[in-house]
Amino acid sequence: MAARQIYNPDGFKNIAEDGKVTGFQFQFKAQYYRGITLSILHNISVNVDGEDFPREDISITVNGETFTLDQALTVVDSDYRWEFGEFAAITVKKEGGLAAGKHHIKSVQLIVPSYMPFPIEAVCETDFVIE
Amino acid sequence: MASDIKRSISLYSYQDEYYDGVLDLEGCLRETAKTGTTGVELLAEQMIKKFPKPIEDEEFRAHWFEMLKKYNLTPSCYDAFLENRIYSNRTLSLGEQVNMMKRDLRLAGMLGFPVIRTLVSTPMDVIEGSLEYAEKVNVKIGLEVHAPFSLNSGWADGYMEMINRTGTKYFGFIPDMGIFCKNIPDVLRDKARRQGASEECLKIVDDAYAQRVAKGFVKIKYDLDLGKANMEYRMANGMKEMMDAVEKAGGGPADMMYAGTSFTYSWSDPQDIIDNIDYIFHTHAKFYNVHEDYVETAVAIPEVVEAYKKAGYTGFLSSEYEGGEHLRDVGVDSIEQCRRHQEALRRAIES
Repeated sequence: MAARQIYNPDGFKNIAEDGKVTGFQFQFKAQYYRGITLSILHNISVNVDGEDFPREDISITVNGETFTLDQALTVVDSDYRWEFGEFAAITVKKEGGLAAGKHHIKSVQLIVPSYMPFPIEAVCETDFVIE
Repeated sequence: MASDIKRSISLYSYQDEYYDGVLDLEGCLRETAKTGTTGVELLAEQMIKKFPKPIEDEEFRAHWFEMLKKYNLTPSCYDAFLENRIYSNRTLSLGEQVNMMKRDLRLAGMLGFPVIRTLVSTPMDVIEGSLEYAEKVNVKIGLEVHAPFSLNSGWADGYMEMINRTGTKYFGFIPDMGIFCKNIPDVLRDKARRQGASEECLKIVDDAYAQRVAKGFVKIKYDLDLGKANMEYRMANGMKEMMDAVEKAGGGPADMMYAGTSFTYSWSDPQDIIDNIDYIFHTHAKFYNVHEDYVETAVAIPEVVEAYKKAGYTGFLSSEYEGGEHLRDVGVDSIEQCRRHQEALRRAIES
């Protein structure tokens, strides 16, 4: 038996558009026990090596469609849920991306199930390497 | 004493294996059947992808019923989530919420479930507005009685008043056995230790819990503001005094986590089951850790099952494993836990 895996170890990479590196991406699973309509995902904060990234520069991809965090608040289509046990890809804008080598990420999922008096704030941390 | 109590497993129990991709929906059904149980409880939003679309599909339903037949399982309860804050700028209107409840009743019926579980956050008028439809599709609505809530309380009285006023046979309760914890689960205590909790602080919290059990818990009031009701409940049960003592003993984050979490468990008199048996449609047999000798460390299984037997209960006791969340740093084995828990239930029922 091993500890629960939150991040996809093979999911960390820089993202290029038109030959220019525009940001980085990682994949993780929702730290909750059922699939959720994206509209109850109120935030994903991202901090890499101590650097915070603005909310508007963060987007989420599920089932092949990408939404900014603001757009996700209105996504209620059943084809675009964050399914339980499935990785979502999080893309963060950062000119030039992350440098090759070791990094540390702290990302917090803010999920707000309707029945809970307090939201779920799942702190997800890991070390990773950009090739 | 002979008993017609039936056993079931909620697939919630296998969430860690499902999360890891070790079990899919059919794998969960297979493991459920292997324990010798006959009932299955489902959280559709947990294990049916693209919820609720597939349930509308005849082919999907045919496959579902084929699997139930293959594994000799009977649907016991469908756990619904009334997502009434699906939009962040407003709560759904009463009519919208009733429609959502009707949708869940219909979906549950299509999968063969006789009961849906609804949560304490479901407003009373949403339940009342759905009763006629529940009768039409012949699916009952069971309100989960989950700690810190309890039967025979001001909170439960509000619902009893509604039952008596409407004369409905389609609304009742689903007790969660987390309301019958004699102790704080050992898996939580061990997690606190791994995180650096001190034995002195753990003892303060354990002693305070034992005192609450001995004195009887002050019951929670009915209030749709669940946060407020919960805080009042905690204060009335001595949370401040306990927290102050932990702080004075130099408690750190792990001690505080243990102290705070201790208020998510409670002890009710099993007589509550006997008093309310006519309104109990289903039961979440919540558990946290069953040892090799089939003893659950927190829930008083023999004592509680005895009350169900005395009351003549004929519904399901549905295993709901919740110890895994305290073992995720070291590894979870829900399959073995469910096997042991089913055996513990079987012994208690048949003894």
